[in-house]
Amino acid sequence: MRISVDLDRCTGHGRCYTLAPEVYEPDDEGYCVILAADVPVELADKARLGARNCPEDAITVHEDASAG
Amino acid sequence: MAANANPQAIYKLMRDNVPVMEDTSTGVPSTVVALHADIWALLHDPKVFSSSYDAVHIGQIRPLIPLQIDPPRHAIYRRLLDPLFAPRRVAPLEARTRALVTELIDAVVDDGACNFHAAVAEPLPSTVFLQLLGLPLARRDEFIALKDGIIRPPATTPDERTAMVNETGAEIYAALEEVVAARAEQREDDFVSAFLDAEVDGRQLSHEEVIDICYLFFLAGLDTVTASLDCMLAFLARHPEHRRRLVEDPEVIPHAVEELLRWETPVAGVARITAEATELSGCPIPAHQPVMVMLGSANTDERSWPAADEVDFDREVNKHLAFGGGVHRCLGSHLARMELRVVLEEWHARVPEYRLADGTELAYSQGLRQIDHLPLVW
Repeated sequence: MRISVDLDRCTGHGRCYTLAPEVYEPDDEGYCVILAADVPVELADKARLGARNCPEDAITVHEDASAG
Repeated sequence: MAANANPQAIYKLMRDNVPVMEDTSTGVPSTVVALHADIWALLHDPKVFSSSYDAVHIGQIRPLIPLQIDPPRHAIYRRLLDPLFAPRRVAPLEARTRALVTELIDAVVDDGACNFHAAVAEPLPSTVFLQLLGLPLARRDEFIALKDGIIRPPATTPDERTAMVNETGAEIYAALEEVVAARAEQREDDFVSAFLDAEVDGRQLSHEEVIDICYLFFLAGLDTVTASLDCMLAFLARHPEHRRRLVEDPEVIPHAVEELLRWETPVAGVARITAEATELSGCPIPAHQPVMVMLGSANTDERSWPAADEVDFDREVNKHLAFGGGVHRCLGSHLARMELRVVLEEWHARVPEYRLADGTELAYSQGLRQIDHLPLVW
């Protein structure tokens, strides 16, 4: 699984890094930074949870892309 | 007043019957928007649904920064202001916020009763915010009266409201000028001092820009968390099963904060103005029309939410718009969330069993849903 964030859409709500700090973190302005685009299997649910809770629909989960 | 206490039922009537409604009751026609899909779309279309100076008059003589600046200029101010309220800057404030909450609870815990609004909901966020901004805490009550004069003027006609709001606005400008002049002489560790040395676009912020940021902060920082705390405690006092959950499982509190923000939506609506003629859900809206964006209705729209009218702290997906959405997402949302969480944690640890005093009828103010008299007993 791979994840990506569209920084033109992210406005810094911070739902992703609050719910899934293992996968996402805030930058100095509070916008989304993805810790590792290739998500290990054990964090896949967390990655999805963060993406599904983004109020701006800024995070895309690419289910088919295999980890690293 | 009943409508303000249970706005969710009114929102549903609006969505089902007049999802895009022309309101002519105030003299200036405006459009009220109730559907989540329309609201999400317009919040993300700032070219048509502008947040410029004319969207709302709250005593200001120039556009408020950054709320009333449209893209692309908006971004230069957010780049300056976002870091001040980012999670990394908010986290270190948690310890002193918790100490302050503890002090406020200490003052009432043995009484078995308090007006929660006066005891906690008003003093906590205003103290935190005045310290951050750099306004003198000794004048807190005066400042709170000024922001109420803008947000809840006791006016009976639109003209009277305009006159009152402008007069109060002039007093706020005077208070801010005083503080900015003092910081120009001597910097302190506060936002006003930081603004005086701040740069945007490779130049220093002008005096007017500093004032225009502070004016917005003054109104936003002194009201919204207070209203949110009022709404949350009022809900929990009337819903013992939800309250008990917070007591028994404090880890659910961050989720409860989100769900209560969704359900109560303390900032019930935000204002926009159309830059050109447009339409929503097939309803035409003329150019230069004020638009009231009912965030509370978006957050309870059964077309977009499963079990929209259930307050469920275990909701797995919660993309509420209580802090707005798009480029004007509430600048203070991270600070607000921290304060709300800390109050719910400390209050329920110290006062696990409480209810509304017998015979209480809660009066919520309109727009920003504050409850001046929130008598709890335990």
